[in-house]
Amino acid sequence: MSNLELALWSFPVLLALIFLRIPIALAMLIVGFGGTWLVTGAPLMMMNQLKTLTYGTFSNYSLSIIPLFLLMGQFAALSGMSAALFRAAASLLGHRRGGVAMSAIGACAGFGAICGSSLATAATMGQVALPELRRYGYDGALATGTLAAGGTLGILIPPSVILVIYAILAEQNIAKLFVAAMIPGILAACGYMIAISVWVRLSPKAAAVRAKESWSERLRALIAVLPVAAIFLLVVGGIYLGIFTPTEGAAVGAAGTGVAALASRQLTLSRLKQAILATAASTAMIFLIILGAGLYNSFLALTQLPQTSAAWVAAQGFSPWIVLTAILVMYLLFGCIMDSLSMVLLTVPIIFPIMIGLDFGMGPDDFGLWFGILVLIVVEVGLITPPVGLNLFIINSMAGDIAIGETYRGALPFVLTDVLRVALLASFPAITLWLVRLIY
Amino acid sequence: MYDVLSRTADLIARSMALIGGAVLILLVIMTCISITGRALVPFGLGPIKGDFEWIEIGIGFAIFAFLPWCQLQRAHAAVDLFKPAFPETMNRVIDLVVDILMAVVAVIIAWRLYLGMLDKQSYAETTFILQFPVWQAFLAGLVGAIAFVIVAVFCVLRSGRTMLGLGRDEDRHVQS
Repeated sequence: MSNLELALWSFPVLLALIFLRIPIALAMLIVGFGGTWLVTGAPLMMMNQLKTLTYGTFSNYSLSIIPLFLLMGQFAALSGMSAALFRAAASLLGHRRGGVAMSAIGACAGFGAICGSSLATAATMGQVALPELRRYGYDGALATGTLAAGGTLGILIPPSVILVIYAILAEQNIAKLFVAAMIPGILAACGYMIAISVWVRLSPKAAAVRAKESWSERLRALIAVLPVAAIFLLVVGGIYLGIFTPTEGAAVGAAGTGVAALASRQLTLSRLKQAILATAASTAMIFLIILGAGLYNSFLALTQLPQTSAAWVAAQGFSPWIVLTAILVMYLLFGCIMDSLSMVLLTVPIIFPIMIGLDFGMGPDDFGLWFGILVLIVVEVGLITPPVGLNLFIINSMAGDIAIGETYRGALPFVLTDVLRVALLASFPAITLWLVRLIY
Repeated sequence: MYDVLSRTADLIARSMALIGGAVLILLVIMTCISITGRALVPFGLGPIKGDFEWIEIGIGFAIFAFLPWCQLQRAHAAVDLFKPAFPETMNRVIDLVVDILMAVVAVIIAWRLYLGMLDKQSYAETTFILQFPVWQAFLAGLVGAIAFVIVAVFCVLRSGRTMLGLGRDEDRHVQS
């Protein structure tokens, strides 16, 4: 078997292992290790590499942003900010039709600005907003669908762990990617609110409204969320202005949400331990996947698959837009069964060289940002598409009394707005790039 | 006997994770002090010397220290799509095989890290600014890697017992 054939065969083997419930990190480690063994004829090369590869990966300065952002999100969850954000959003939107659900989306967007993880956003906002949605008589499907979709804003709105990983894999500027993600993130929140608005108009009995609040009440509610705005501006602004590196920015963010958690007096010792343990489990999970992906991708690089496939695609003379569409659709399909992080780690090293070789009428820097945002959105849709959508499961189990089928149904309108948004952003790269060009 | 082992594994994994977390928090504090110092250079202050290197060393240690907890909690990302469709016995066999493979990986990681440490020691390699001996940073990582081996071996025992129907295995999943 030629090296290239080996590389091609490694995909079905990897997928088979993953579908057998082998953890994704383990599957990548096995296939990467075995593949390199077959290519080089001995395990020696991999074994030598492993003397420094593990330590090198775990102590990589750029990657150290990940545990810091995860800790930041855990502290944010303890800071009581989620409740303050929901109150502020509800004071502005609660009196409209579907307003309580819209407030949940608004609060998720706000929380996403200080939390880089979708699941943490869904779990935290779910605790605050789900009881409120039920209290105002929201239909179970709409309530759970709203919160599952709102959770994805945790990662669509910077800071975002997935964007950090993409930036490292595709050698892009993290600060510029965060800026590029802003308008698409706001569009996502608007799209979700429109979906809610249409839903409650089509089935008016789905929800009740809150009493309208006075401007002084609104002002008070808004003042309570100033710390969120301050932390977000400090982190993203500091990184953007070059006052500190992205890793330092994440540390500043963790300090900010940690102080907010202390100030809220919710940070008991046992909660601090829980926050650390949750950070530990997610961090170790992510770094094992990064290690596995590193091994697997070095095997693929050895077989020259990325270059060969990029050259092949370029030589076929396909329309770049058709290739892009095919790849985005592939991500959407894979997202139904795989988690977003593994998907990015597994595919970007192969897909990115192919895509950057195609002519989309923009420079490589612009392309890297624009494609990153598109990938970010399509992999995040995977969190709210059945059968495996983690956000759906989290919110559904939190609600307790709603059939999972109802939650699937509730997520559908939001998935639809996601697909429309991807089409819009893909057709008009300027929407993503405009803000980057404006401030850089 | 099993209960003692179970409690020991939990204690090792939990304390390593908490120590790693404490290091993480210390790095957060150090970074904030360092940034403040850097901003106040005109007033005679300065950043902490080698702050980047402390982050690399500290985070490296923390992540090794987090591995045992992730393993014990079965927090690895996996596709559970077909779990309900597989027969119960098959699922138990898969759990056992996964734990055995994970233990093998843990052993390889720790063993190669140890050899890497010996290499660094013999070259007397140090970090650029702090002149910190790199082998000592490897040694710090090795503590977590060895704890990972111990906990991973315990997990093989745990899923082996579950397969034989001896004990019930709590099926906990922690997500990011």
